[in-house]
Amino acid sequence: MLARSAQGLYWMGRYLERAEHLCRLLRLQTEALVDRPIREIHFGWSRIYRSMNRQPPGGSLDFSGSDDFTLADSYTLADDLTFERINPGSVWNCFAQGRENARQMRHCISAEMWTCLNLTYLRLQNLEVFDIWRPSPESFYAETAGNIDTFIGVAEATMYRDEGWSFMQLGRYIERSQLSVSLLLAQLDEEKLTDEETDEDWASLLRVRHAIEAYNRTYSVEVHPNQVLDLLVTDPLLPSSLCRCLDIAASELASIGHGPNAPASGAAQRLAGRMVALINYDWPDREDHRALLEQVSKYCRELHDLVTATYFDYSAEDSPVR
Amino acid sequence: MQKSTAMDFNRYSLDPSTYDEMFLPNGEPREHSRRLHETLTNLSAEDLGNIQERVTRSFSNEGISFTVYGDEEGAERIIPVDCIPRVLSGAEWQHLESGLTQRLGALNMFLEDVYNEARIIADGVIPVDVVLGCPQYRVEMRGFSAPHGVWVTICGTDIVRTNDGFRVLEDNLRVPSGVSYMIANRKAVKASLRILYRGSQVREVENYGRLLLDCLRELAPRDYSDPTIALLTPGVYNSSFYEHMFLARELGAELVEGRDLLVNNGFVYMRTTDGLRRVDVIYRRVNDEFLDPLAFRPDSMLGVPGLLHAYKLGNVTLANAPGTGVADDKSVYAYVPDMIRYYLSEEPILANVETYLCRRPDELEYTLDNLDKLVVKRVGESGGYGMLVGPHATPQERDEYAKQVRANPADFISQPTLALSRAPCLIEGDFEPRHVDLRPFVLRGRETRIVPGAFCRVALRRGSLVVNSSQGGGGKDLWVLED
Repeated sequence: MLARSAQGLYWMGRYLERAEHLCRLLRLQTEALVDRPIREIHFGWSRIYRSMNRQPPGGSLDFSGSDDFTLADSYTLADDLTFERINPGSVWNCFAQGRENARQMRHCISAEMWTCLNLTYLRLQNLEVFDIWRPSPESFYAETAGNIDTFIGVAEATMYRDEGWSFMQLGRYIERSQLSVSLLLAQLDEEKLTDEETDEDWASLLRVRHAIEAYNRTYSVEVHPNQVLDLLVTDPLLPSSLCRCLDIAASELASIGHGPNAPASGAAQRLAGRMVALINYDWPDREDHRALLEQVSKYCRELHDLVTATYFDYSAEDSPVR
Repeated sequence: MQKSTAMDFNRYSLDPSTYDEMFLPNGEPREHSRRLHETLTNLSAEDLGNIQERVTRSFSNEGISFTVYGDEEGAERIIPVDCIPRVLSGAEWQHLESGLTQRLGALNMFLEDVYNEARIIADGVIPVDVVLGCPQYRVEMRGFSAPHGVWVTICGTDIVRTNDGFRVLEDNLRVPSGVSYMIANRKAVKASLRILYRGSQVREVENYGRLLLDCLRELAPRDYSDPTIALLTPGVYNSSFYEHMFLARELGAELVEGRDLLVNNGFVYMRTTDGLRRVDVIYRRVNDEFLDPLAFRPDSMLGVPGLLHAYKLGNVTLANAPGTGVADDKSVYAYVPDMIRYYLSEEPILANVETYLCRRPDELEYTLDNLDKLVVKRVGESGGYGMLVGPHATPQERDEYAKQVRANPADFISQPTLALSRAPCLIEGDFEPRHVDLRPFVLRGRETRIVPGAFCRVALRRGSLVVNSSQGGGGKDLWVLED
């Protein structure tokens, strides 16, 4: 397929995954505003900003400890992360970028996929934080994440399984792997800064990843950080576990084929395989999980660069004529 | 519950000087509009409002949009659609079809001629300066003979109707747009007026993509059954991007931008995920000027260096060919009936609109003296930009415009202000007449193909004669009935 179309579908996958991930985090975070202690709310916001590597508006988070301030600050932070036009990582921007890539590549996706995405776009287009805050911010986030899930379901059901599909999937799963790793690293780093009881912070991670029931079944209702980490990273049955995401990325890459430059695509495939091996074979025996996650994060960025250079931005001079 | 009252045409006004598409002058519906009239008058205002709302919503849900230049960059707008179809009889269509076929035949012969022997100039049918003075005349194309004599593969002809019948207002021979709206209007309206549609025996337009594909394949340089076809778009900010995407999808073609193509050894390639792949036919929606920075505008970022060279070598087919703009120039337009007589030895089936060329001193005088009655157009502009509708302009606007005309007379033509035909539209819950035209799309491969339909444009502002979508116009579905 046309290199630029493949790139568009790859980015569509990445942006929509990013938008969905942030909606899930914000849903949980706004749910916490109803009944959780201020410390936990504070921890949640810090974790989100750290995982996004973004400064909160005003530079730093400073919760004074009163309910009123916490709520007012949360409103500002939610706005920054949801609708802020100059925050490239806001839900609106990620979604609009995903939809824009789809608009330009509409001829490469199914008509149903486009309609599904466009309806969500029309719904989000004129909303502001004020509109979602009064009734129930958590249902707005749940609905938006649900719209993106629906889109993925529609894609599953209707999209032709050509290279376009593989590039979209590759984008989604590289993105999801990176988001998972960033969130886990943020959790580990934030945890070091606090000396209070932190089980609930770990449990909330399980909720973001739809893993709370799986955890209860596999381990127990008692939350142990190491077990949470093991489940989220290594459980092959958990749809969003890191090992599963990396595995899918590797197999989509394998199905794409050599591209114009066989040595380069070979390097990309080996790198993807190496990440899977790190999780499958190194993780269980390693003490320093943080370092291993750092390693995966670095590899994810390298994989993105390799895919871009191999399939999208290759030099025309030394590429074969088909 | 009380049933709301049915719609009626009691407040619908007929004007004897203007042809009405639905009604005879005596107020009776025309024969071929009876069924539509009956359906409309059996619907309640609420039902019709729902139909209109469904049609409009389907456009916005599908994102069938266009961009207006000068708007916030790339803002997508939805073209307004009126849910009431305009109906033509089979006989009316037959007349249009034979006229359009004849006209495009002569225009293609004209292009082949003016870039080669220029017999038509030597024989004194068209003055040399009208042709050579036209900015769309491309000296680069001199001595080139288009594959199968087809310079224009896709033509969108604007046709209006007055009490005197159909007339050609403009031939669009460069990158005519609107065909996607013809199909989108049809899809939306037929889904909303299902029973009427089923019973009306409307001729199909949705096979347009198939016919276009046949034409493009027939013109491919390599004689093999499955040439690689690409649609070249200026990109997502172009006003017609939706249409480019739509057609690429209909054709099963790649939608490419200039940066996706390159020319090597006189062949054109596109960059795929699997390396370079040769392209045989390019349906290009990029204007001549921007097509190839080596041949035309050197600052073009939209084009492909070397494309014209590859085309002239016969290694790739461009549809339409570069240089076709000389044949739809507003001055050259005045000579099309003579072209038809000259090349085909036939009388034109479709008449032109009377046209005064301001390059001729007496016609310039006439134009300036009658500015309040005429429509004056700039030769090089399209899309309703840069024109003066005399009767609707203020004296100041006319004075201002007269100055421009006097400064560069050759840049202007004038035409009488036509009483464009009107068709009923649903305006704020009631039927009101609005001016309409139609743009059928004529395709030419090794033979001529026309789908029986057109993008019917509507001047939705009351009294307005400007139907361009960039100027507050909208669209309507056009139904050609089987006779």
